[in-house]
Amino acid sequence: MYGIEAINANNGWAISVVGITIVFSGLVMLSLVISQLHKVLALWEDPSKIKALFAATKKEGPVPEDSLPKIPDPDHLTDSQQETAKQFALLARTMDDHFSLPRLLHLAQISGLHSPCSNLNTLLKAKIIIPDGSGFFVWDKERFDRAIAS
Amino acid sequence: MGDIKEVLNRSSVFGSLGKEDTERLKPLFDPRKIHPGDILATAGEAADYFFLLATGTILLAMDGGRSVVLNTCGDFIGLELLSARGIYTSRLTALEKGCVFAIPRQAFLDIIQEDSPGASAIMTAWHEYLEVTASFTKNIEDEGLLEHF
Repeated sequence: MYGIEAINANNGWAISVVGITIVFSGLVMLSLVISQLHKVLALWEDPSKIKALFAATKKEGPVPEDSLPKIPDPDHLTDSQQETAKQFALLARTMDDHFSLPRLLHLAQISGLHSPCSNLNTLLKAKIIIPDGSGFFVWDKERFDRAIAS
Repeated sequence: MGDIKEVLNRSSVFGSLGKEDTERLKPLFDPRKIHPGDILATAGEAADYFFLLATGTILLAMDGGRSVVLNTCGDFIGLELLSARGIYTSRLTALEKGCVFAIPRQAFLDIIQEDSPGASAIMTAWHEYLEVTASFTKNIEDEGLLEHF
């Protein structure tokens, strides 16, 4: 007994369907794991996000949209934010007291700082970098010192 | 992603418009998600769109190193703040994840050139908004020529 006849006699079709299903399911699961891997790596690089994640789940009820974006308290910057703030401070020291914000962002980008846009935004929200009203910005040393001392 | 009607109502530029004008503007706005580092406009390129901020933070970088940080729902980024004679004069960089609504520049100019209370209200509110948001921006002498933007 050979060929199609042998396949029919030994449940070959059913076995191949099961095999295809198992392989396909495995590939789908693998692709899902790979697609979410960047989130795990982000947590690995910045463990403070794990604390933030647990803190967020403790809150009851939905967060009203009006409360966003949350203004970071300079006294409670995470460790990585403090490190980045120090790096931005070094860059700001190379500039005038009233400096150009796009220039600072450019320096941060070419210096290879981690997530320069997001971290610059954090410094703005923490009011460590504040506008001077003429289109330039100043570095609030007092707030910065308080932020890195905590 | 915010609702365009709500964003228009909260905007200091469009908030004073009546229901009819708001309903007319709504379909012109196209929502776009933004992520940190996204460039929405580059100085020197054709100014096809103006933007209305729903959520997030945007850095508007002008000539000479001056800049404005926009992070309030309803902030409008257009006209002399962004372009001149159909060319972007400023660079828009997203600093935070959020959402903007893009409106075709020409469609917006067509609306504000109309001889209507709505167009007048938009321009009055725009000048007040500009005074508060970026009072240092150089006043354009021939403001009557809307093609200037």
